[in-house]
Amino acid sequence: MKTFISILLSLTFFSVNANSVTLRAVMENVPDTKFIQELLPDFTEKTGIEVEFEVMGYGEMHPKLVPSLTASKGSYDFMPVDFYWVGEFDKAGWMMSLDDMIAKDSFDTSVYFDSLMDLTGRVGDTTYMLPFYNYAMGLTVRKDLINDSTNQSNFKAKYGIDLKIPTEWNEYLNQVEFFTDKDNGFYGVVNQGGKADPIAMEWSNYLFARGGSFHDQNWNGQLNSKEALEALNDYISMISNYGPLGAESFSFDEAFNVAAQGNAYSYLTYNWFLGSYNDPDQSSVVGKMALIPVPGEGGLNGAWGWSIPTSSPNPEAAWEFLKWVESPEIAKRRAEMGGAATRKDVFDDPDLNAKFDHYPGLKKLLATSKNFPVFTYTPQFVEVMGTELSKAVIGEQDASTALANMNEQLEELAAKDGKR
Amino acid sequence: MNNIQLNDRRFGFFFVAPAVVILSIVILAPIVIAIITSFYDYTLINRSLDNFIGLNNYFESIANKKFLHSTLVTITFVFFVVLFEFLIGFLIAILLNQVERFRNVYYFILLIPLLINPVVVGLIWRMFLHPQLGILNYLIGFIGIEPVNWLGDPQNAFITIIFVDIWHQVSFMIILLLAGLASIPEEPYEAARVDGANAFQQFRDITLPYMRPVIIITLLIRLIFALKTYDLIYIMTKGGPGDATDLISYYIYRSAFIGLDLGQAASMSVILLFIVCIIIYPLFKYMSRADE
Repeated sequence: MKTFISILLSLTFFSVNANSVTLRAVMENVPDTKFIQELLPDFTEKTGIEVEFEVMGYGEMHPKLVPSLTASKGSYDFMPVDFYWVGEFDKAGWMMSLDDMIAKDSFDTSVYFDSLMDLTGRVGDTTYMLPFYNYAMGLTVRKDLINDSTNQSNFKAKYGIDLKIPTEWNEYLNQVEFFTDKDNGFYGVVNQGGKADPIAMEWSNYLFARGGSFHDQNWNGQLNSKEALEALNDYISMISNYGPLGAESFSFDEAFNVAAQGNAYSYLTYNWFLGSYNDPDQSSVVGKMALIPVPGEGGLNGAWGWSIPTSSPNPEAAWEFLKWVESPEIAKRRAEMGGAATRKDVFDDPDLNAKFDHYPGLKKLLATSKNFPVFTYTPQFVEVMGTELSKAVIGEQDASTALANMNEQLEELAAKDGKR
Repeated sequence: MNNIQLNDRRFGFFFVAPAVVILSIVILAPIVIAIITSFYDYTLINRSLDNFIGLNNYFESIANKKFLHSTLVTITFVFFVVLFEFLIGFLIAILLNQVERFRNVYYFILLIPLLINPVVVGLIWRMFLHPQLGILNYLIGFIGIEPVNWLGDPQNAFITIIFVDIWHQVSFMIILLLAGLASIPEEPYEAARVDGANAFQQFRDITLPYMRPVIIITLLIRLIFALKTYDLIYIMTKGGPGDATDLISYYIYRSAFIGLDLGQAASMSVILLFIVCIIIYPLFKYMSRADE
């Protein structure tokens, strides 16, 4: 009898244990998180593994993650990693290599855009993450104004070229000037000039559009270039001559609201804002905005990746979750709900292309986007950029000085990180 | 000291000990750890106390122009918010002290801003201050004032932050000062009125002397809180535009969690603690003199 009870208890213990794996993760309060939450019962049904998300704002995530990552056994089984943190997390050894698991399960990573794998997938030759969702930036413009015949003839008369969806940077600058009518409260552009992330991210697009870059292959700063100076002068001119009052302090939501209320011709922003533009509860320009790649030499990439911390209490179960959430089926279902996909096959899916007419443009945008410098001190460099650019915009220093300061500090930080 | 007194003293220590232990763990230990960390090259990337660097972090902090700028901005900010919050708070407290009817209603209304989380305060005011879509520029438009660039102009942004902080924190001053005013006995005022003293003389010779300890405590607490202002800056300006509103707490936070340099950030925190001590020392001294 005793033996029977012991066996029964052991079996009960093991069966409870096998079914009681609960994965925990910190997640940002964004639509993509909500979409996954809706699909989680499917994962639990298939695997018996429960998943709990601690959903919070972006600013709370890093301070919440770090204590867990530094512990020998942390609180979180997997984690989303913003590209800002990749260098730091890699240097600190907080991310587990996924290469063995990828090889064992023949998980295909070639489906991801190369630029996204470079940003939130691989570090050197090691795969630490699977790209989760993208927030590459694109240009949103009022296509109804572009298609207006009066506007077209007036534009042609003034500039000698056709008014169309812009493909060249200077063409776009002309359009911004053309549509600005400050007396009637309409602006050619609205910028997100607030410190530090908004202005740094937005200006990076200007830099790339002008053909500039942050550094060369040896991490020698390239911000003293003619292209960088043109880009900064463009940016200052946009805010002071063609944008609304206060754009120097706007974050992305405030800038978006100006555009969504129909008060601006264009806004260079995160591609997922297109959904908000087309939501009548948030916008008065439903169906009027087009999302296009940044004219000129391309825009700025951005993404989050899925990673398993080295301190993960359940790395195997976490990998099961990553495989599930990034499987073709779930990736498609997330995209159907409005998720910002990272897999190329999602953008080639006929059903999704029928549903979302911006998909071909978005695919092109992701394929041409360029990456921000990813190293241990990426967040610090964003801070540096934020302050220097902001000072240039408000006239506290000239554009050349701002760029020289940024260049010097980029090289200093790269040297501190052992890149130079 | 006889046995009974000794036993009493031991008994007292026994009761106080848990509080002392908990306070030591919660307050003293982090301070000691921060001081120790400040002498090491301790970063989030290299989290070890292997590399003792003496006072290097302190020398670097003192030579850091951005840190010095933040210190200056913070001192200016603290001076203005504490001054205006005190003046406005004292005035309202005196007026409220005369009120008999609906006093609780006034208290409740005044307490509302204080009950709101600073993050929410920041978000609300960012909405109000939006130059195109905010209610403030809309309202001032009715009296013919042109829209103001509240947070995009360096000077305006600094003044705006001071204003929002006053809006949020002035209730704190009012409540404490009102409690002080309510505790002043009525007799000296009656005697002064019999002697023909006017309202100003009553205020100068009765109210102020009675209120002195309360005023000092109130100023002290508010000053310490103001020096630590962080949330409002994080939400409203991120220290910008440029570095016009870059307060010291926000700068230290960035050094630790963005610059990843905990040793450097700890040295700045110790310097901030030192500044706080220098500021509050004369007030403490004055208070103990007043008690005597």
